[in-house]
Amino acid sequence: MNATTTRQRLVVIGNGMAGINTVEQILKLDPQRYEITVFGSEPYPNYNRIQLSYVLEKSKSIDEIILNSWEWYRENGIDLRTGTTVTRIDTDSRTVHTEDGTVVPYDKVIVATGSKPLMLPIPGADKEGIVGFRDIADCETMLHAAKLYRKAAVIGGGLLGLEAAKGLLKLGMDVTVVHLVEELMERQLDRTASLMLQAELESQGLKFATGRQTAEFLGGQRVTGLRFSDGTTLEAEFVVMAAGIRPNTEVGRASGLTVNRGIVVDDYMRSSAPDVYAVGECGEHRGVCYGLVAPLFEQGAVLAKHLCGVETKPYEGSVVSTQLKISGVDVFSAGEFMDAPDLNVVRMHDEWHRIYKKVLLRGGRIVGGVLVGDGKQAARLQQWIRTGTVMTEEIHAAIMGTAAAEAGNSAADLPDEEIVCGCNGVTKKHIVDAIRDNGLTTVDEIKACTGASRSCGGCRPVVEQILQFTLGDKYDSAAAKKEGICGCTKLTRDEVVAGIQEKGLLTSKEVMHVLGWDNPEGCSKCRPALNYYLGMIWPAEHQDEKDSRFVNERMHANIQKDGTFGVVPRMYGGVTTPEDLRLIADVAVKYNVKLVKVTGGQRLDLLGVSKEDLPKIWEDLGMPSGYAYAKALRTVKTCVGSQFCRFGTKDSMGMGILLEKKFERLDMPAKFKLAVNGCPRNCAESSTKDIGIVGNEGAWEIYVGGNGGIKSRLADLLCKVKTDEELVEIVAAFMQHYRETGKYLERTSDWIERVGLASVTAAVVEDTENRKALAARMETALSQVKEPWKEVLDNPVLRQRLYSEIQVPVGTK
Amino acid sequence: MDTKEVTYVGVGRVGDFEERIGRVVRIGGVELAVFRTTGGEFFALENRSPGPRGGTLADGIVSGVVLFDPICDWRIGLRDGAVLAPDTGQVRAYPVRVQDGEVQIGYSAS
Ligand SMILES: Cc1cc2nc3c(=O)[nH]c(=O)nc-3n(C[C@H](O)[C@H](O)[C@H](O)COP(=O)(O)OP(=O)(O)OC[C@H]3O[C@@H](n4cnc5c(N)ncnc54)[C@H](O)[C@@H]3O)c2cc1C
Ligand code: SF4
Repeated sequence: MNATTTRQRLVVIGNGMAGINTVEQILKLDPQRYEITVFGSEPYPNYNRIQLSYVLEKSKSIDEIILNSWEWYRENGIDLRTGTTVTRIDTDSRTVHTEDGTVVPYDKVIVATGSKPLMLPIPGADKEGIVGFRDIADCETMLHAAKLYRKAAVIGGGLLGLEAAKGLLKLGMDVTVVHLVEELMERQLDRTASLMLQAELESQGLKFATGRQTAEFLGGQRVTGLRFSDGTTLEAEFVVMAAGIRPNTEVGRASGLTVNRGIVVDDYMRSSAPDVYAVGECGEHRGVCYGLVAPLFEQGAVLAKHLCGVETKPYEGSVVSTQLKISGVDVFSAGEFMDAPDLNVVRMHDEWHRIYKKVLLRGGRIVGGVLVGDGKQAARLQQWIRTGTVMTEEIHAAIMGTAAAEAGNSAADLPDEEIVCGCNGVTKKHIVDAIRDNGLTTVDEIKACTGASRSCGGCRPVVEQILQFTLGDKYDSAAAKKEGICGCTKLTRDEVVAGIQEKGLLTSKEVMHVLGWDNPEGCSKCRPALNYYLGMIWPAEHQDEKDSRFVNERMHANIQKDGTFGVVPRMYGGVTTPEDLRLIADVAVKYNVKLVKVTGGQRLDLLGVSKEDLPKIWEDLGMPSGYAYAKALRTVKTCVGSQFCRFGTKDSMGMGILLEKKFERLDMPAKFKLAVNGCPRNCAESSTKDIGIVGNEGAWEIYVGGNGGIKSRLADLLCKVKTDEELVEIVAAFMQHYRETGKYLERTSDWIERVGLASVTAAVVEDTENRKALAARMETALSQVKEPWKEVLDNPVLRQRLYSEIQVPVGTK
Repeated sequence: MDTKEVTYVGVGRVGDFEERIGRVVRIGGVELAVFRTTGGEFFALENRSPGPRGGTLADGIVSGVVLFDPICDWRIGLRDGAVLAPDTGQVRAYPVRVQDGEVQIGYSAS
């Protein structure tokens, strides 16, 4: 066809964040303009490099950080060549050459080869066990090393080094951060901020060797330690070099482009050769090489427009900001950060709250800032720095927290092309257009429509300002900020629950109809939530709505990444019998399960079961469901206790089994875990459970709100009780109070932080009448629960509809 | 209609499908997820998530003519299998018709 022959050839070298972001922007502007080929050395589609820190600490998988799937390339007609390294561009014959000898002609070519870790040229740097931290392969090396070795050293106390160190620490390694100067992150923080950061990280378990210059790596073939220039040494079986990055300019040099530190580009990302561009970390613009993503989005936007013949303002450089992605450490820095004679400094240091805030002014304009311990104003501060806003009383009050004054709206000053949401690359114009075109009135609607604020949420305040600015008089601040339970309604959890109670609504359909949902059948957020609230409010009347359950709860089994399921039978208190073990083993063999796993909750998980086999396995097991999939009581972990343990003062197994039998099956706002211990040695780990019970001579201690997951939190002591009856009553009252006031999916750890321990103690412990009322409502709820596996087995229609596939041989008429 | 290229096969009675709960149907080597909406319309999509993490679609939550992907929570239009903004992607959709209470799915032999 004609259209294809007239298309120009665009070749992108580097399948990373800058290259693919530019391609995305080109596709938005003019999808038919180029026939696109992308070369990438790594064997993956484009992924979010920033989030490698999360992969390292295992809070995300590699799949979860993929930004553009294989299909995305296919659907956009992009010829993707992964695992292929480009060696040079021949600017005379206008061709790109690869390592394996492929030659591809181009009309335009973009170099987006990123950076490489700076490997310090120190004797011994070539030993085994010394790596950089840049890509998935590095991350995998580190994950592997953490399994084999204990002592790690990270060279470099900047953002990357600290994130690497924290990740290795989380993997169980003993980690020391080695840093050349005394202050960590000295290129972003002043001394005060840096010392606070170090203290916080030390309390999390990291060790530091600051003011040390590494002179040599010790060991034979493999590294065993470091020797510093002062003669001291440090033992290390594994070393991560995070001392900096170096623009990857190999292709640029081999192609004869002008290269300084990076490939030199002008304000339209043009290199020294015609039709050859460079974008991202490999480039050097006005003498600056960047090492963060925000600039590359801005560069990509200018380059995409330039390549599509759309008029654009030149790229004039970026103000960068740094935010550390380590949980429990709020550190932000942007623009200038060091005191200087020509600067005025607004400073607040609260040593008790461990908060430090500093804003730097030049001629009354905000040119930089540092926040430690309280990053709430980070997004706004960054925006004020970018736009060089003049300091006002309102801004001062907003940042320093001296008054609850509303700061003036600076959204008006933001240029249209400014990237508001760095994570998703959404510009101000994109948001303004979405508001105007679709009549949006809330931040949540903007999130749903444009993706802005969907990932880290840092830009939410700015999005809100843009909304206010765009709507003018029509802006309703309370309504816009209020977070409805989902995009289908502006009502909050409490308003929805009150509505259900007052109006006597019995089904989700009625709720959505009467309470005026925007979306007649709701969404994946409100449907499961409403099903829970209805069941909590009307335990006897409510009919469970299976179509509103998430897959695991609908199937009563845990779906795995390959579409098979895991089956976990109940094992009360983690106690079993030889007969039950034998039965489980026989069933596992009969159904050829792929793996048998002892879970963290003291029971057995049969993994790799097909959907159709689920009811058969349950039938053969004849055991109740362990609810390993549910927003309900999962397990009661117990220690051996007084029945066998010589330290035990209380029968922890007996109490654990009693509690598990009593409270199993009941729907809760989120998953719920218990532990019971026979003495304060706490072998069953009470401090990370929703309720952790510790036996003492003559008393039980009850701890609540603990969590050992992604956001860990130690449990608080709720109270001590003398008798078993009191214990059961307090547990019942606590669980019911949480059921009645918790938001759907809110764990007790978040709930307690929100409502305050004092209010829970008052409702559950101090007000005995209320406690009894709560416990009574709990009994009503418990009287309604049914064993789900048995229910499926007893109902052949349900069994057929939910679990069996329909097979149609082809050729049937 | 281009019915000449498409062959319809019966996969069951209307009553074999619950409203808003998907069911897996295999026709030859192809695995489909078949949905019945509240309005009584039937739709069939290839049972494969368009999202970055893979997985299947049959167990997603159905709202009107939109399916929420059970793995990545993207929204997928049941009529044409197109992923709705702000995400992008495409799932293969198959034509479905109901004749005399029998649900029939059209697939092209190619
Ligand atoms: C662990 C970690 C955490 C980070 N955290 C943050 C953060 O919190 N905030 C922030 O703003 N930034 C952060 N960054 C920096 C951010 O990831 C980079 O700024 C960004 O990825 C740069 O994009 P790029 O496209 O220029 O380079 P890259 O994303 O590195 O892409 C370059 C790609 O080109 C490929 N390539 C190189 N040479 C060739 C060749 N000759 N042929 C073919 N392909 C080639 C490379 O393999 C690579 O895949 C972090 C980086 C790391 C490693
Ligand atoms: S917690 Fe106390 S009673 Fe329980 S096993 Fe440990 S030492 Fe024994």
